[in-house]
Amino acid sequence: MNNLTDLSKCTLAEALIFQIAQTIEDGILAFHGFGSPLVQMALHFAKRTHAPNLILVAGATYGVNPTPDFLTPTSNDWAMDRGSECSLSIEELFDLAASGRMGRMFLSGLQIDRWGNMNVTQLGRDKLKLKLPGGGGGCNLSCDANRLTIWTAAHHIQASPKQKPRFRLVESCDFITNLGHRTVDNRLRQDLKLQGLGPDRLVTELGVFDFDESGHARLIKVYPDTDVDIIRSHTEFDFPVSDQLTVIELPDATMLKIMRNLDPMGVHRKEIRAQDKNRFFLLDSYDEW
Amino acid sequence: MFTENDKRCSLTELVGFIHDGDILAIGGGLSSREPMAALRALVRQGIKNLTLVGSAHGIDVDMLCGANVVAVSNESYVGFEQDFGMAPNYRRACESGQVQVLDSCCYTLVQQLRATISGIPFMPMRSIQGTSMMQLHPEYQIMKCPYSGEELILVPALQPDVTLIHAQYADQHGNLHIDGPLVADILFAKASKKVLVTVEKIVSHKELQNHGITLPFIYVTKLSEVSYGAHPTSCYPFYAYDRKHTAEYYRSATNAETFLTDYLLPYVFNCNQHSEYLDAVGGKQTMNLLAQWKAGKQQWQSLYE
Repeated sequence: MNNLTDLSKCTLAEALIFQIAQTIEDGILAFHGFGSPLVQMALHFAKRTHAPNLILVAGATYGVNPTPDFLTPTSNDWAMDRGSECSLSIEELFDLAASGRMGRMFLSGLQIDRWGNMNVTQLGRDKLKLKLPGGGGGCNLSCDANRLTIWTAAHHIQASPKQKPRFRLVESCDFITNLGHRTVDNRLRQDLKLQGLGPDRLVTELGVFDFDESGHARLIKVYPDTDVDIIRSHTEFDFPVSDQLTVIELPDATMLKIMRNLDPMGVHRKEIRAQDKNRFFLLDSYDEW
Repeated sequence: MFTENDKRCSLTELVGFIHDGDILAIGGGLSSREPMAALRALVRQGIKNLTLVGSAHGIDVDMLCGANVVAVSNESYVGFEQDFGMAPNYRRACESGQVQVLDSCCYTLVQQLRATISGIPFMPMRSIQGTSMMQLHPEYQIMKCPYSGEELILVPALQPDVTLIHAQYADQHGNLHIDGPLVADILFAKASKKVLVTVEKIVSHKELQNHGITLPFIYVTKLSEVSYGAHPTSCYPFYAYDRKHTAEYYRSATNAETFLTDYLLPYVFNCNQHSEYLDAVGGKQTMNLLAQWKAGKQQWQSLYE
């Protein structure tokens, strides 16, 4: 069903996991929430590679440093907190964030704007048109966690014959569930004196952005099969491009083995759209011998 | 506080303590330890117009929305994660206006419950500022801190009328042992006017002490022994999540008509007793399969494939 024994190339999902993992600092407390297997994978991968002292708190179970044998398709499952060193309670986890002790949180949205604001609550401003599942504790953690990584595997516009194309990276969110660098009434985030500094990375399946001094998303990386023009055509807002624009780094064969052992059922691939299931990237440093 | 020596009652009696229009907090979270048998009984007993408060939920809230017994949702998340996706009944109910959408978020809920537990009318917090949650909840206030001069958000005390929990063990006095992630159960229980509990097994006080007491009896109003009472969500170590049944649920929920004919009728309305429901979902064979997670990694993993 897949090429997961082939170590000469990585899947789009694996490239995304690697990019998300690059944002995780060693020694911090990071939390993956629920419904986010790519992030789950990135945290477990980081812990097993460059961030061995990471305090990995599993979403929904609140287990600390678990070593699950496999990923389950729902996150509040005992399979996900096996091997945990200890567990936190819901209030403890959120208190740690509120008091400035959560290093990083990972958030997404059906709409993401130029300031890294995210909507997971509803489409439609005055009248609700589409009810989204809601953000769990994301709204709180977007304010409290020291830094945020935003990710989406659905940057590519959704074309439909009847309606105009639906963007994921939008001019403005219908509802701001998770706070980026500007408030709903256009104030600067830093004026609110929140605990957290806001998003510093936006990883999508088309490119990678950081946020410039004004808090605006800025393109810093493209994929081997994307470029600035492609990314612009799928982004409703205009964005600056870094002078040091590069092509994303890819994991090496040893790293791929680590990732593939984490998720034997391939739960994380559910985040990847059908059109992207066959996107692979050749590892340039691959050495058969 | 609840001092009755023997709090045991039938499931029907237990659910009889929930009234139309109540603020209901449902214990558990996502696909774990949802008090599903009590919720099915609640639907059968025709209780309506509930306001639901909670953190991260799935089939429990979705089923209540599909049965049209919810008036307001104060939940933080309702969905089936990457497993099946959005919650179909919940979505329809919110989008049609049948359910008023007043989404909350986890820490806001925690702070509101803590206010009630501490007997204080509100709790301050830093987060939510700058988001649309402030417009959705005009009851949240901004206060200048008299000590630091910072602006803080005040959220009002929240007191559920009823908390409904499914636990592994209890004694007849109402002491509970909950195994595994507690989610918001303890906060809900301490903040609520009434706490109604279904448990896998009622045991002697001595045996319960050996398991360890997670929630003291003083908070617990009534309890009922309902084995497999969380099915199709998990209640480890007794049984894992029934993904197959949940897939059937999800297919039936594609539209309101099929949800009634293919789910509510066969699994809720036509099962007057919990034992009839268990037969309808495959009886002993299904339950033994869900207990197989203990046999090893392969057996556990196979429950999700």
